[in-house]
Amino acid sequence: MLKITADELKTISQYIHDISGIYLDQSKSYLLETRLGPIAEELGCASFRALHDKAKRDSTKNIERRLIDAISTNETLFFRDNSPFELLKHKILPELIDLRSPASPRMKTHIKIWSSASSTGQELYSIAMTIRELLDGQLDRFNFKLLGTDISDSAVKQASYGKYNKFEIERGLPRQTLQKHFTLFGDSWKIKDEIRSMVNFRKLNLMLPFTGLGKFDIIFCRNVAIYFTLQDRKKLFNKLAASLADDGYLIIGSTESLTGICPLFVPKRHLRAIFYQKKN
Amino acid sequence: MNTLTILVVDDDPVIRRLLEQRLTKENHTVLLAEDGYKAEKIIETTPIDVILTDLMMPGEIGGIEVLEIAKNKNQQIEVILITAHSSVDTAVEAMKKGAADYLEKPLNFTELFLRLQKISNMLSLLRSAEDLRQAMDVTESTAGETIQNLEITAGELQEKLDAVEAILSNDTIEAYSRITSALNIIYK
Ligand SMILES: C[S@@+](CC[C@H](N)C(=O)[O-])C[C@H]1O[C@@H](n2cnc3c(N)ncnc32)[C@H](O)[C@@H]1O
Repeated sequence: MLKITADELKTISQYIHDISGIYLDQSKSYLLETRLGPIAEELGCASFRALHDKAKRDSTKNIERRLIDAISTNETLFFRDNSPFELLKHKILPELIDLRSPASPRMKTHIKIWSSASSTGQELYSIAMTIRELLDGQLDRFNFKLLGTDISDSAVKQASYGKYNKFEIERGLPRQTLQKHFTLFGDSWKIKDEIRSMVNFRKLNLMLPFTGLGKFDIIFCRNVAIYFTLQDRKKLFNKLAASLADDGYLIIGSTESLTGICPLFVPKRHLRAIFYQKKN
Repeated sequence: MNTLTILVVDDDPVIRRLLEQRLTKENHTVLLAEDGYKAEKIIETTPIDVILTDLMMPGEIGGIEVLEIAKNKNQQIEVILITAHSSVDTAVEAMKKGAADYLEKPLNFTELFLRLQKISNMLSLLRSAEDLRQAMDVTESTAGETIQNLEITAGELQEKLDAVEAILSNDTIEAYSRITSALNIIYK
């Protein structure tokens, strides 16, 4: 396998940081070798330096995309950590529906939700299934906008397709939910159109400005900031605060914390779950 | 090498006995069925890693049907078909239905053991991946609980700190009572 030199390690991790915000410290040479080595070899690069130079010269950005796909950790599962989805069902959605219900019964209730590192889609589909279970039969009174974004093209592609193999399905999905919302598709499962049509996925780098997204009522930003430096996390959560409605809700990963990162948010507890709201 | 539980399905008693001997010698656990019906009963009641089945057998249940029954019961069961040279086309068809492999008669044991080795390696990889995931899930949920408690405590302390700061810097109140109020907030 292609070996990385100390010098190349610096250059490549700086480059990865520039294009994705993902921070790899000097102990990650093995990760770079196993994940980027094969791409280097395939592109005929004799060294990581050559790979770096080639990627920077590539105006199509194809190499950059492949490097991001290779280095990002897409680990996710349906109903990960469960408590945010219980929170959604029993607290956040009922509260928001009250707050957002229009005066005229002929008008719809608008609610916008963003899964900001949606990976292969499990998080956003879990949100959509939660909404369906809660509001079954009355969905035509609502206008839900569910957006999933991620920096990885291949993750966005799989999410849009909504197809999962048995290993991905076995993680987190109760049998009943599986049978209700998925159909068998060869030896994989595909999310049903009624759920698929509730959501949209597209590519977005959280390190860049969020233009044209508008304000959201609920933002999920789970298990992505852990890959960023403290400084980048601060910037990210400040931007998220600006993209969140003043009475909106932010959900972060169960092992993450905003203490010392973003004073704009205050943590709140409901039963066993935590969510954040903007300080007023 | 991990030992496997292997179901051998063949109507020829000589082949059954031969496979039983060779596989047992390799430390595998071997179950025998002389036709598809017996195989079906065993598949329904016993956990199996691998099925070695003849493609052509008398009766309604041939190798393909054994494959289907097994995959229906548990996708994880690996099925290797044993075929006469003339039925290779059917065997290829079976691969599309999820068979792991096919071997032609007469059986080459070196080849068979190689396939089994591969399957056993894959099974142990799957098991350790599953173990790792379990471990990760447990770590994530216990760490999550701790961190969330700290987060709430830090939030409450911050609130107190803000209130103390507001009181202490309020110079419309006399100094001594500012300090008592601040202490009250801290020890509340
Ligand atoms: C571990 S997954 C988390 C998925 C899901 N939110 C969850 O909690 O299960 C992290 C995701 O963040 C994405 N990611 C990493 N850096 C990113 C960036 N700068 N902008 C957007 N997404 C990014 C990765 O591609 C990956 O899909």
